[in-house]
Amino acid sequence: MVKKKFIIVISICLVHFFSNNAQAVEPDEILNNQEQELRARDISKNIRCMVCQNQSIDESNAPLAKDLRILIREKIKDGKNNDEIYEFLTDRYGDFILLNPPFKLKTLVLWFFPFIFFGIGIFIIFFHNKKSKQD
Amino acid sequence: MKKQLLIIPFILFLFILLTFFYLLAIERNPSELPSNLLDKKIPKFETESLLKNERFISSKEFGKEKILVNFFATWCQPCRVEHAYIKRFSKENGIRIIGINYKDNPKKAVEWLRGLGNPYSDVPVDKDGRIAIDWGVYGIPETFVINSNGIIKYRHIGPITKKIYKKINLLIKDIE
Repeated sequence: MVKKKFIIVISICLVHFFSNNAQAVEPDEILNNQEQELRARDISKNIRCMVCQNQSIDESNAPLAKDLRILIREKIKDGKNNDEIYEFLTDRYGDFILLNPPFKLKTLVLWFFPFIFFGIGIFIIFFHNKKSKQD
Repeated sequence: MKKQLLIIPFILFLFILLTFFYLLAIERNPSELPSNLLDKKIPKFETESLLKNERFISSKEFGKEKILVNFFATWCQPCRVEHAYIKRFSKENGIRIIGINYKDNPKKAVEWLRGLGNPYSDVPVDKDGRIAIDWGVYGIPETFVINSNGIIKYRHIGPITKKIYKKINLLIKDIE
């Protein structure tokens, strides 16, 4: 019985996790060209809402997020490519506006530390096991 | 020898603990972000002026003297709170202050300045918030210190408090 409940709860969580339904795009913002709109949505999902900081502008209802969504759509209509749009935003707000930190010399530690620590962990476990076998 | 190696994790742990404690102890606001525009030229803009009959053209205004730029709006409560300090800057320091009126109702803004006093030498209007985006503004009030070469030397996010007032005051005297 408990197990059944557990499975139900887990599946609800999983459905919510994968559905990713949260969005704040208002009808008047949506572009007529579906391809362009999809690109705008894609970019918006990678852009941090600077006001709320842990949401993307695609999910946020903050006024600044709305302004940025509209701005991105205008840039797309003007024929700007994705890189140009990301550059426009990071020039003004810094790398922090990207939800994924870019791969740079400055962020190298950020990207590699997990692997280094994983390596250290493996080494310690291996070392420890070997030692206890000897004992 | 191998026993001695076991002390390494403890040293590492202590190091991490100290780092975290240091970050907790020092005064900082992690949600406050450094400006990407620091030590760069101000973004150019051209817009209408709230109080004057001529257009505001940034290239005509900046680059001659030190200027304080303050983003404000009548709907922003902290802007009202910091207004006393903005006035002090203009009175005590004599620095030129440009107040960018962010996404506001022009009528209300004029009344607001009439009621609280106007420390701004000019009030360019940022009707749709695009000027603010060019400045990397994400929450008003925000205040920028610009040197006489038109370069951004400091940015403060949030209302100006007594402490920030003193800090900016010293900075204004320090820069060219």
